[in-house]
Formats: sequence, structure tokens, C-alpha cells
Amino acid sequence: MSRARLGLLLVLLVLLGAPAVSRAAGPLDQPGYAKAVTCAACHGASGNSRSEAVPILAGLPPAYFKKAIEDYASGKRLSAEMEPFAKQVKLLGVDEVAAFFAAQRREPTPVRPERAAVERGRAAAAQCASCHGPEGQGDAAKMVPALAGQPAAYIRNQLLLFKADKRSPGDEPLTKMKAILKPIPDATLADVAAYYSSLR
Amino acid sequence: MTRMTRRQFLRASGTGVGVLTVAGLEGCATSTGEINPKAGRRVVVVGGGWGGATAARYVRAADPSIEVVMLEPNKTFVSCPFSNLVLSGVRGLGSLTFGYGGLRDSGVKVRHAAATAIEPDTRRVRIGDGYLVYDRVIVAPGVDFLVEQVEGLAAAQDTVLHAWKAGPQTAELAKQLSAMPDGGAFVLTVPPIAYRCPPGPYERICQVAWYLKTNKPKSKLIVLDANQNIVSKAALFRAAWQAYPNIDYRASNKVVRVDPGAREVTTDFGDKVKYDVINLIPPQRAGAIAVQADLVGADKRWCEVDHVTYESAKHRNAHVIGDSTIGLPVPKSGTMANAMGKICANAVVNLLNGREATPVPPVNTCYSWVSDREVIAVVNAYKIENGKVVQVEQKLTPGQSTVYAQHAEGWAKSIWADVLGNGGVA
Ligand SMILES: Cc1cc2nc3c(=O)[nH]c(=O)nc-3n(C[C@H](O)[C@H](O)[C@H](O)COP(=O)(O)OP(=O)(O)OC[C@H]3O[C@@H](n4cnc5c(N)ncnc54)[C@H](O)[C@@H]3O)c2cc1C
Ligand code: HEC
Ligand code: HEC
Repeated sequence: MSRARLGLLLVLLVLLGAPAVSRAAGPLDQPGYAKAVTCAACHGASGNSRSEAVPILAGLPPAYFKKAIEDYASGKRLSAEMEPFAKQVKLLGVDEVAAFFAAQRREPTPVRPERAAVERGRAAAAQCASCHGPEGQGDAAKMVPALAGQPAAYIRNQLLLFKADKRSPGDEPLTKMKAILKPIPDATLADVAAYYSSLR
Repeated sequence: MTRMTRRQFLRASGTGVGVLTVAGLEGCATSTGEINPKAGRRVVVVGGGWGGATAARYVRAADPSIEVVMLEPNKTFVSCPFSNLVLSGVRGLGSLTFGYGGLRDSGVKVRHAAATAIEPDTRRVRIGDGYLVYDRVIVAPGVDFLVEQVEGLAAAQDTVLHAWKAGPQTAELAKQLSAMPDGGAFVLTVPPIAYRCPPGPYERICQVAWYLKTNKPKSKLIVLDANQNIVSKAALFRAAWQAYPNIDYRASNKVVRVDPGAREVTTDFGDKVKYDVINLIPPQRAGAIAVQADLVGADKRWCEVDHVTYESAKHRNAHVIGDSTIGLPVPKSGTMANAMGKICANAVVNLLNGREATPVPPVNTCYSWVSDREVIAVVNAYKIENGKVVQVEQKLTPGQSTVYAQHAEGWAKSIWADVLGNGGVA
């Protein structure tokens, strides 16, 4: 803008008595935005991780999100990375942070698993549909998370943890899933992970 | 720095950043007087590294009615994190080099120029003969080197490399290492704390040792550490070093002199150590512009800030983030600079809109590659108590693993995009 036009604009603003600055409601008015801002370092913008082994948080149901934070903080879910942050989130106010991520639109992972692995995984995944849904969409009411579009390496790593009863050991609602996972070979679990990751 | 020639200064800053020069001005080389008089509210960001680029993007994200001008002399962003892998040949420097297109897409006005002075009283940032007026300035110039603390270093900076700002020096040191004859000695010196990236030198030790073990098995790596012990993740690094009998680690050995003719360094005890290749990481302080702007404390090295807004303890409307800061119980890391950038940006937007800043603590994670495929990590969580950042917990990974390597890759991908915008990342 030239100086002359700028000057004119300023004169107009003054004449109109308009405030020199005005601000529309922005992201800072969204509850949780300011508190969730640091999570993007690993979980991506709006919790939509674009990498292979860090989970997408966008769209996670708040109740599941809060359970995850509780389990990390108490050490039931072993993660050297998440345990300290879970404690930090609890101090900050987990409700606001959970609400923020729940409200973000989930964008499936851009990392495409190998086609052959997806095909191999399809059959074994049939046993999971009763809880995780036919499209891997999850069931928020039962605190069952969606699997569709999560990065494959994340899903696979979690399946290995469940299988060895290292994730949330002794959790009653998880005994059935763990029993199903027990006899499945690790290679097949990797294929199941690829299958769910490929769903949209 | 006072006695250095301009060329030496450019060398010292590693990436060709000259605070005293106006080299590389894009579109404003002839500007004198006020550059682009501001129409509304303006934030000027000095430095487009981990802290500054993040802050610039997040001010725009939170309030696009605020004009953001970011000054950064370099045309590309080269990631220090993962640059130790360039020395071992596990990664190429190209995979760590990104453009600033993503910032421009966010509406940040990127000017490839160095700020030559900041005048807090008149709220001006000088670029040579011209100046920009700001409402608030965010200063994120990283570190500069106290070259004069090592005798002989100022005159030897063409050959005695730090590679502590990723860029040409990283590539050059990798070349020196690969050209070293088998049976040679690579000497790496660790500066006294506080310096950029506490675990960084020890990760580099792993990478150089891995490279030598794999490619030049008769060679050794002598480490002269100015500190009494490994500064970060000591037990994990010691465990990793079991795989590298070629490491000769010497604690409490501060290097005070370098003689490139004799290929020899001298420690403060007077011990002389011969080298074939030297990697001398000098002691550090806040970027020169922070010193010029009188943002550093009595130590003349680092900047004290408010723990909620990152406003300077010395000058109002000037905020400092990243490696240049001191006084928070946090490491000088990229994760931390990124976190500070976001928290500071949100605070600045709130303050410019007449609101209070929300107290939000930062997070820290430093992943370190201990071989070509395995990683360890340290994680720090914080809270804000009575307006101060306080550590809640520090945790280490129980050991090294390829799963942490996956997480490290995930971190890098996410955080590069967070710093630069998706458009900046290939
Ligand atoms: C080998 C190595 C490995 C590392 N590994 C990790 C890791 O794995 N994880 C991690 O979290 N951290 C790591 N770090 C640390 C990390 O790189 C720094 O903490 C981070 O870069 C700090 O960000 P900053 O914004 O303060 O400074 P920088 O990123 O250095 O940015 C400062 C910018 O300011 C510019 N500048 C300087 N003066 C001026 C001026 N006068 N005008 C305009 N611009 C100016 C510079 O050109 C530069 O681009 C590592 C560092 C090294 C050296
Ligand atoms: C340094 C990287 C890093 C940062 C920063 C980080 N996380 Fe995580 N997060 C991870 C990793 C890795 C996992 C997977 C851990 C595992 O194996 O269970 C994870 C998992 C999670 C999960 C479980 C998701 C699921 O589907 O069960 C939640 C919830 C979560 N993180 C929330 C957060 C929040 C909130 C923040 C910000 C305060 C945050 N994270 C910051 C790395 C990080
Ligand atoms: C009986 C119901 C049930 C069945 C059957 C079941 N799951 Fe689950 N699953 C759950 C519940 C509940 C959770 C939430 C875990 C928690 O509370 O931490 C879960 C969590 C998961 C997660 C972790 C997701 C995340 O974001 O961290 C994965 C992966 C998973 N299931 C995969 C499977 C697969 C693959 C199968 C089939 C082989 C399967 N599940 C069968 C109930 C079930």
C-alpha cells in the first residue's frame, strides 16, 4: 500500500470513529487450544500425526483420551515419552485438552501400507469387528477407539504390547481382546495393523 | 568477537549469518529510513530457526490481523537435530534442509536479512541503514560462539570446525572424517555447560564411533569433555558406548588452546593431545544480536525472561525464546525452542489484544541416535507455579531401541512441519 493511500485509510478510520484494531474470535477462544499447543511437536497439527509410529489424536473420544492419560500417568501404559506429559496434562486440566482433540477433524494417515499386507490382514481382522466395528470406526460409548487410518507401525506396536499384556495389564474390559490376540503370530498382527491403517 | 574480521565472523556463525553485515538482503538492500511503515499491529521476529519460525507461524495462526515480519539471513532452514547422522553417513544433509515457503503460505513476511540492531526504546529493528517499527519483537537468534576462549581458534576457523550449526560445516566435517586415514585419531571437545543441546555431543560421539568402527576399525575417538561427567542421559550413553571400544572418554578436560600447525590441542592442565581430525565445539552464549540489544544479563551471555510470556526481564515489548534464554529449568533444545515459540506467540497475541496470557508450561524431549538404528530419549514435563516454570518430572527411556527410533522419526516429521508449516517440508 502506498503511503498516500495508507494516509487516506487512516483518515477514514479516524473519521468513522472505528477502532484502529479489531479482532474476530480466533483459535485462542477455543477451549484447550493454548494448552494442547505443545503436543503438535509429535502428534502433528491438530493432532493429525503424519508419521508412522506416533498416533493420531484428532477425533479421539474424550473418555478414551482421558483413560489413556490416566494409564500413562499411573504407569499402567508404559511409555517413557508419554508418562511425564500425561502428568503435565493432568495438572493443566485433562478435560480441556481432551475436548480440544475430540473436536478436531481426523485426517487418516498419509503413510500407505503395502497392499499385499493389507490383503493378508483382512481375514484376521474379522475377529475384531464386534468391538472395533466393521470399518474399524470404534465405539465411543464403549471406550473402544477407532483404528481406521491410524498409522500402521503405531497399531502394530500396540498389538504387540497387548499380546504380551504389557499395555494396561489386568484391565478387565481388555481381557477378551488380549485373549483373541494371544494366538495370532506377530507377522499376522503386522498385517492386521496394515489393514486397519488402510481403512478410510 | 571484537577482533574478528568479517570473514571470520561469518565462519564463526557457521551458516553465513553476519550480524554486523547486511549481506543477503532480499528486496531491501537499498532501504534507508523506515521500511514498510506499519498499518496495523506488527510483530517482528528476529531469527527463523526452531523458535523464531514457530513463533512467526503461530502468531499468524492465532490472529491473522497481526502483521508478522520475520528476519532470517539464510534462504534455507537446516535442521541441527539429526545432523549428527550426516557425520556417520546415515543421512544426507539434503534430507535435513527445508525452505521457508510454508511460512509465506501462513502469511508471514519473510525477509532474508539479518537484524543489525534492536532498539527497545524506540521499538525499532535495524536492518543496515533501514529500520522496521514493531509493537512487539520476538528475538530468537540461537547461540554464538565464545571463540576467544580457545587460544588459536579465531585464526583457525577454516579448518577447526564446530559443526554446531547445521550447514556447510556439517558437510565439511563429514568430509574430513571420511578422508581421515584408518589408524587416525578424531578428537572431539565438549564445551562447559550451558551450551546448545546437552546430549548433542554424546550423540555425536556415538555416530563418529559407529562410523569408525564400521569403516576405519584401527582409528580411535578421543573425547575431551570440559564437564565432570556426561552432561545428559549419562547411564544410557555409557551403556551404548559398550559397543564402541574405540572411544577414549576423558572427563574434566577443558580445551584452552588449538594449534592447527602441530595438529594439537592443549587442555587446562597443560596436557597436549594430537589429532588427525578435530571437532572443537566452543563455549557458547546467546546470539550476538541479543547482546547488542542489551537483552543479556550480568553474565553477558544469556537472556532472562518472564516464564509465562517470554518477555525480556530487561526490556518491555521484547520477547526472547529458544537457546538464547536462561533461568528456566529447561535444556537448550529444538523441542523446547518450538514449545517456547508457540507459547510466546499465543501470549503476544493475547497481550496485543489487551488480554492476559494463559500460563502454559513447555515440554521437552531429546531423542539421541546411539547407532545407525537405535535411539534413546530423555523427556521433561513441567508446570507453572507462581509464574515460574517448574519441572514435574524427568524420565529416560529404559534402554535403546528401534521403536524409539520410529518415534524419533515421527517427532522429526511432526516438528519440522510445526516449525515451518507443511509447505516447507518436502
Ligand atoms: C548437532 C546438534 C544436534 C541437535 N539435536 C537435537 C535434537 O535431537 N533434539 C532437539 O530438540 N534439539 C537438538 N539440537 C538443539 C537445537 O538445534 C537447538 O536447541 C535449536 O536450534 C534452538 O532453536 P533457536 O531458535 O533458539 O536457534 P536456531 O534454531 O539456531 O535459530 C536461530 C536463527 O536465528 C538466525 N539469526 C541469528 N542472528 C540473527 C540476526 N541478527 N538477524 C536475523 N536472524 C538471525 C540464525 O540464522 C538462525 O537461523 C541439536 C543441536 C545440535 C547442534
Ligand atoms: C515426544 C513426543 C510426544 C509428545 C510431545 C507428546 N506425545 Fe503423546 N504419544 C507419543 C507416543 C510415542 C505415543 C505412543 C506411546 C505408546 O507406545 O503407547 C503417544 C501416545 C499418546 C496418546 C494415546 C493415543 C491412543 O490412541 O491411545 C495420547 C492420548 C497422547 N499421546 C496425548 C498427548 C498429549 C495430550 C500431548 C501434549 C501434552 C502429547 N501426547 C505429547 C509421543 C508424544
Ligand atoms: C471385546 C472387545 C474388543 C475386541 C474383540 C478387540 N478389541 Fe481392540 N480394543 C478394545 C478396547 C476396549 C480398547 C481400548 C483399550 C484401552 O482402554 O486402553 C481397544 C484398543 C485397541 C487398540 C489400541 C488403539 C489405540 O489407539 O491405542 C488396538 C490397536 C486394537 N484394540 C486392536 C484390536 C484388534 C486388531 C483386534 C482383533 C484382533 C481387537 N482390537 C479386538 C476392545 C476390543
